[in-house]
Amino acid sequence: MTALAALTERSLMSTLRDSGMIFEMLVPVGSLLGFTVALHGLIDTGPMSYIQYVLPAVVVQSMMLVALLTADRSARDHRYGFGERLRTLPITAAAPVSARMVATLVRATIPLSVAMIAGYTFGFRMAGGLGYALAFVLIALLLCLAVALGADALGSSTSIFEGTSQILLFPQLLLVLLSTGIAPGRNFPGWMRPYVRNQPVSQVAETLRGLATGHVAIGNLVTSLAWCAGMLLVFGAITLRVQRRTS
Amino acid sequence: MRRAMADVSPCRQSVCRQTLTRGHPVHGILTAVGQFAIEVSGLTKTFGGTTSALRGVSFSVPAGTVCALLGHNGAGKTTTINILSTLIRPSSGRALVAGYDVVRQPAQVRASIGMTGQIPALDQMLTGREHVVLFGRLRGLRRHQAKARADELIEQFGLVAAADRRVSTYSVGMRRRVDLASALVVPPKVLFLDEPTAGLDPRSRRDLWTLVSSLAQQGVTVLLTTQYLEEADVLSDSIVLIDHGQVIASGTADDLKRSVGPSYCHVTPANPAHLSRVAAAVAGLDGIAIDADTASVSVLARDGVATLGEVFRRVDALGIELADISLRKPSLDEAFLHLTAETVT
Repeated sequence: MTALAALTERSLMSTLRDSGMIFEMLVPVGSLLGFTVALHGLIDTGPMSYIQYVLPAVVVQSMMLVALLTADRSARDHRYGFGERLRTLPITAAAPVSARMVATLVRATIPLSVAMIAGYTFGFRMAGGLGYALAFVLIALLLCLAVALGADALGSSTSIFEGTSQILLFPQLLLVLLSTGIAPGRNFPGWMRPYVRNQPVSQVAETLRGLATGHVAIGNLVTSLAWCAGMLLVFGAITLRVQRRTS
Repeated sequence: MRRAMADVSPCRQSVCRQTLTRGHPVHGILTAVGQFAIEVSGLTKTFGGTTSALRGVSFSVPAGTVCALLGHNGAGKTTTINILSTLIRPSSGRALVAGYDVVRQPAQVRASIGMTGQIPALDQMLTGREHVVLFGRLRGLRRHQAKARADELIEQFGLVAAADRRVSTYSVGMRRRVDLASALVVPPKVLFLDEPTAGLDPRSRRDLWTLVSSLAQQGVTVLLTTQYLEEADVLSDSIVLIDHGQVIASGTADDLKRSVGPSYCHVTPANPAHLSRVAAAVAGLDGIAIDADTASVSVLARDGVATLGEVFRRVDALGIELADISLRKPSLDEAFLHLTAETVT
């Protein structure tokens, strides 16, 4: 426990000092401004205001970004041999990666709060009550954790440094922009709709949207949780392999 | 750095010596289990099924001594250290560190060792002080204990001025000091130093030698790797000469030198004309040879300094003025070349 606490503190200290933190805080504000100003009135979201519609997607995007930047941190440990040195210490093998995950979740609360504050100023409301709001936050963080686990494993096993997260930005962008989080499925060309509707960002954004209004479709909630659980399982297994790898 | 190393003794008094006398388990310096702190037998390591990094390495290091793994790049030094510090598993063979098996009891081994690598492994975003505190906490110290201990080490290692700057701004020498201080937060039973003086200036190197010697006096067993013969000669109680993944010789520096050949006593008269008088004076001793080029007489010094004394007394009795008299031992360089050449052929 001491090791986990000490390593988490260290992760937070070192992330407070790199530029990623500011980036993470600016992205939700920037996205929100971009989407609402540029697309305002262009996308028909029915009776729901566009800010109410799009904010969950901004939250999902922010969470994924925080998660992806974890790759740079694990790559940094990997590259400078710090991670290897930790393996000569009397701590559990899972402590370093667990600490990075806890630190990532702590970090995630900041852009999440920023997104909420920005959203509220633009007219977004949590209409479902405290329980739904709590579930909203938990699912956002769960998604962050699941993606972060994968990014961490990639960072720990790749020899590409600093740019690790940039490689991941492209698929992230595709997932966010080609999702029902930005616009309802009918706005996309027919051949693309099956992908757009079923991919994880769309599903999770829809769940968050539902939680914000207080009406969640159970099928959609299950799909979102399944995506998160699936990623946790797969990436968790990969991380375990990477951690145990002692050539 | 100078003061860093010179001031290591207070460290001993404050933490290590206390632990020596009280045997406080947290601080770790207890008498090693058995006579040897490191026992390695028949260690092999094959990478990717084909490349043999180690081909049956065996050696032992008595507790509280300094042992140097000496060899060229790629000889297998780092692989050996990595196996002993539980970073990689051997393909076969057995290794005990502080009495614990590196494969079956890695947790106990990790609790007994300290390590610094060829390249200091630091979190670049932390300051030197934060780094040392972190390692203290990872070794089980409480926050305030870790802080107090870090303050001590920062002072001892001459890092006070830079302690609150990020490690990424440090010079190589300073990074090495942070790395080493982190390894010593809780004094280990066995300390592994992989090329500890690579990239250091001569003075920092000497300071490190002083530190290593003082650690050994405190009962820490030190296994270091080096490519420098001088370093192995000055610093270590024993040397393990390793080449192409095999131990080709081991023993003290003197043992290795003797394996090349005996020592000779060289006598150079002030006046080259007296060469034959010198030769006559030493008549009866073994292995006399006159070297006209250097205008000296050499005598096999089977008894080392005693032979030199005998030669001097005889020459002096005849009143022959000397320019030089010296005992010449084979150098470790010669031993190294001699022994590594043997394995190649």
